[in-house]
Amino acid sequence: MRLPRFFEKKRGERRTGSQVWASVGEAAFYATLLLAGLVFGGLLVSGVAVPEWRINHDFLPARGVVLGKGLQRRSVADPPGVVHTTWAPIVRLRFPVEGAMRDVWSQPLTTAVTPDRETAIARLQSLPSIGAETPCWYDPDAPEIVVLKRGYNWSMWLLTLLLPGALVAFGGSGLLRAVRAWGKSEEHRAVAAGLPEKLAPMGQSPAEAPGFPGVPACDNLVNSPGTILSYRLPIESPESWALLGFGLFALVWNAVLVVLAVGAGLDLMGGRIDWLLFGLIVPFAMVGIGAVVLFIRGLVVATSVGPTQVEVSDHPLHPGRAYEVLVAQGGSGMLRTLELSFEVEEQATFRQGTDTRTERVVVWSQPIKQWRDVELSPASRFEAETMVRLPDRAMHSFHSEHNVVSWRFVVRGEPDRWPPFCRVFPVVVFPAASASPALPSVIRKAAR
Amino acid sequence: MTRGSDRVRSQPQVDVLFDHADRRYQPRDHLAVRYEISGLGQDQVRAVEHSVAWYTEGKGEEDLGVHHFQRITDEALIPPATMVGSFATDLPASPLSYEGVIVKVRWCVRVRIFLAAGRDFVSEHVFDVGMIPPAQRLAGRTAADAEA
Repeated sequence: MRLPRFFEKKRGERRTGSQVWASVGEAAFYATLLLAGLVFGGLLVSGVAVPEWRINHDFLPARGVVLGKGLQRRSVADPPGVVHTTWAPIVRLRFPVEGAMRDVWSQPLTTAVTPDRETAIARLQSLPSIGAETPCWYDPDAPEIVVLKRGYNWSMWLLTLLLPGALVAFGGSGLLRAVRAWGKSEEHRAVAAGLPEKLAPMGQSPAEAPGFPGVPACDNLVNSPGTILSYRLPIESPESWALLGFGLFALVWNAVLVVLAVGAGLDLMGGRIDWLLFGLIVPFAMVGIGAVVLFIRGLVVATSVGPTQVEVSDHPLHPGRAYEVLVAQGGSGMLRTLELSFEVEEQATFRQGTDTRTERVVVWSQPIKQWRDVELSPASRFEAETMVRLPDRAMHSFHSEHNVVSWRFVVRGEPDRWPPFCRVFPVVVFPAASASPALPSVIRKAAR
Repeated sequence: MTRGSDRVRSQPQVDVLFDHADRRYQPRDHLAVRYEISGLGQDQVRAVEHSVAWYTEGKGEEDLGVHHFQRITDEALIPPATMVGSFATDLPASPLSYEGVIVKVRWCVRVRIFLAAGRDFVSEHVFDVGMIPPAQRLAGRTAADAEA
């Protein structure tokens, strides 16, 4: 008998042997989750759903007379040695069952159960008075079980079925995926990807351009017409994300600071001074003020520079072709430099321990044009057109689940009074084979 | 004939012959492959799979795209009845082979032999689609961020 192989050579010629064991482990994991969900769900259904359903469908109606009121006490030792007691108001009823009268204590309402005895006594007032006649429903199989109210508690159903439902869905889809992959090679699994694979918890491949595997679709990049050229490109501003990050950090940090400061203030008002707390608040306050200053500065910079717009004469782009590009910069003030460049960035997503990390590297950058001493005016924006030609043997845009090669126009500016800014405009480049012979592809809007 | 890696111990060996001796193809080219299996010894074969696929290499997790796949279980078409096989396919327009800095895209032909003992043996033969020059890292243009 051969022992399982857990590590195998990855490339070239090799035997593989760990797939079956990996499949066994994966299937066992998901089967355990599925089983836990089914058992947990079964317990909840039998303990909550079935009794409630029986009350609403099987219990027989009757009219009973209230003979007395009382509290039902229930004590549970959980954990052992620690006793929890709950109280619930109930009534003693006399009602007819098949011609004979029965005296029975009613079942407590689940919503009336409380750990506080005084509250339970107060709730006795809401029950029918002694001597009054009230509708009730009893179990025909066990007439000693009688209730004063029927109906469904939907919120409790939702809460009790949420966790087992999630376990069943996650475990079931995982088990189905493991069973479908059983004994199959990775190539076979790749071509047979069905619904369970699409429901996999890990990331999904992005939408592809029809007929071009691995090339991202550019539908979202061509749905905005330009003012002068054919397409206005959407902006992908790294500064905006940094600003959002600063804002969230400042908010959370200062919320913690306020909590600490309130505690310290209450201590001070009570005549006590906690020096440790005060010592902690001082550096916290400095960081908090710094975060607010950075956020406000970023906000002012982002809003003071004015919007940048890039338009292109055709899209998607093809290697070897030339395109017209329009750069427009709004706002006011002076820009020492405004620069347009064309870049290729690689992006790889990988796991590092429990983290998923993304690394980006710019592997090609071509400065297209630089303008100096650009005077911006609120009345009319700065506009300039230029040409860009893609290399004949340029890599096309590529996007798989964990790896990306992306093309983008980058506009970098250096305002006179503010820090430099950088704005990114992604484009999609198709493979050269799809393009016709290299000719300038300059398409202007007829309305120009 | 273009051969795969060197034989390892008594492993099976798969010799693959591409119709382009330099293993260079253009997008949408016709790819024809002939392969020969040897060195099986006493191992019984349950099935043979051959595929044309691209995969990513580099810093990121590996992604795989299968363009052509065929599983052969007919005993008359697998060893020991016959030790040779062939298949052909038209390559797609993309992705092109790419030697990036942290992202690489490679095309390959894989022949996978499923042995009766339960294990399988795979032979991989890389070829190029397109003629994209290798990329180079530009100084000072790297960024990494934790996502989860």
